[in-house]
Amino acid sequence: MQDESLFDKPLDEIEQVEAETSVAARRMPLTSAPQTALRTYIVLPAIFLAVTLLGGLRLGAADNAFIFLKPALICLVFASAMLVLFVRGGLIEIAGWFSEEFSTVRNAANAGVLLTLFSATVQIFNSLIPEQGLPFWVIGFCFLWTIWNNLFLDLDTKKLLRSVGGLFALAFFAKYLVLANLTATGDAGWLQRMIQDPAKEAFTWLLDLPRYSAGTGYLQFFAIALYLLGLYLTPRRTEK
Amino acid sequence: MKEKYIHILSIAGVVCGFVFITFLYWAEPRSLAEVTSKGQVVIGTYSIDKAEFDRGVTAFRAEDFAAARAAFDRADPEKRDAATQFYVAYSYYRQGWGRVSSDDKLFAQGIAAVDRVIAIDPNFRSSDGALTMKTPTELKTELDEGLKLTPSDLNPLKLMKERK
Repeated sequence: MQDESLFDKPLDEIEQVEAETSVAARRMPLTSAPQTALRTYIVLPAIFLAVTLLGGLRLGAADNAFIFLKPALICLVFASAMLVLFVRGGLIEIAGWFSEEFSTVRNAANAGVLLTLFSATVQIFNSLIPEQGLPFWVIGFCFLWTIWNNLFLDLDTKKLLRSVGGLFALAFFAKYLVLANLTATGDAGWLQRMIQDPAKEAFTWLLDLPRYSAGTGYLQFFAIALYLLGLYLTPRRTEK
Repeated sequence: MKEKYIHILSIAGVVCGFVFITFLYWAEPRSLAEVTSKGQVVIGTYSIDKAEFDRGVTAFRAEDFAAARAAFDRADPEKRDAATQFYVAYSYYRQGWGRVSSDDKLFAQGIAAVDRVIAIDPNFRSSDGALTMKTPTELKTELDEGLKLTPSDLNPLKLMKERK
């Protein structure tokens, strides 16, 4: 059906409106309802569950054995604050996820998806915050400062996603590139390590850094990339 | 597919995913092989590898205690079988036993193993006729005695004692 207001407009203006409409249509292709449902209810939880699994996984320095680290309490606090931030930033609209008009099964499925988002967020903090010692407190404090600041800002969804991406990228760089390179690895004796690389051994001891294999960084990079993809795919509301 | 079925599938997937992840973080397997064995423990289908167990017993009787323990570890990676753990404890006792003095380190490992037997089955009794000590309590007493330093250790008659 033609828009009647277009009849009052000059031809070049109408062409511009049509051009903008076609651009908008190309940028946001219509997806069918089952496809959207599959993405929201199957793909998204799978992504977030994968992040939940990988976020606390480390590989031992000596034998590459799996080490499953349970998240510290502060990770749950940060994850809760992040969810508040997601709601405030418009990434998630609560009324679009839970409603009396929805069936119970749909509300439960939505709760499940948001639960996986929460658990994945907890595990991302578990992945990015150093496990112990001074770095734990320093990076934990930086996270607290940033999240606390963001809670009082007027963020739109795009800016929020950029901010979260930037924050996580920086934390990943600090933990898995800077701190990991300061950590002495290998199963040689204490004295041998001290002779081979005294600076690394001293940093490891002073900063109380745990020793993991290099594969841990690759795993966690994958987990963070998956998490950001999951956030990007998360719809604002689940209504038809 | 109807949306309702997608919702149900989603709920089932999320529940299964959380159960699996909780299991992994609770059981803390160190390799993919351990994921399987710990999974078998949880669902109650865990059993020892009989062939490895027999290999362990043969090595134990041949007094090759290190090889015996390696075979017992392969037979019972989850350390949940009383008989296997009893042999492990016994192997520490026999290897660490000495006429003059015992190897404290091996005896301490023996006590840890015998404690596992008591935790798994306090009434365990070995059916192996070649073993002098049949119960974990007897074995633990012997291991404890070996670790203690008492005036009776200076008794020259102790040189006459035999390994059990």
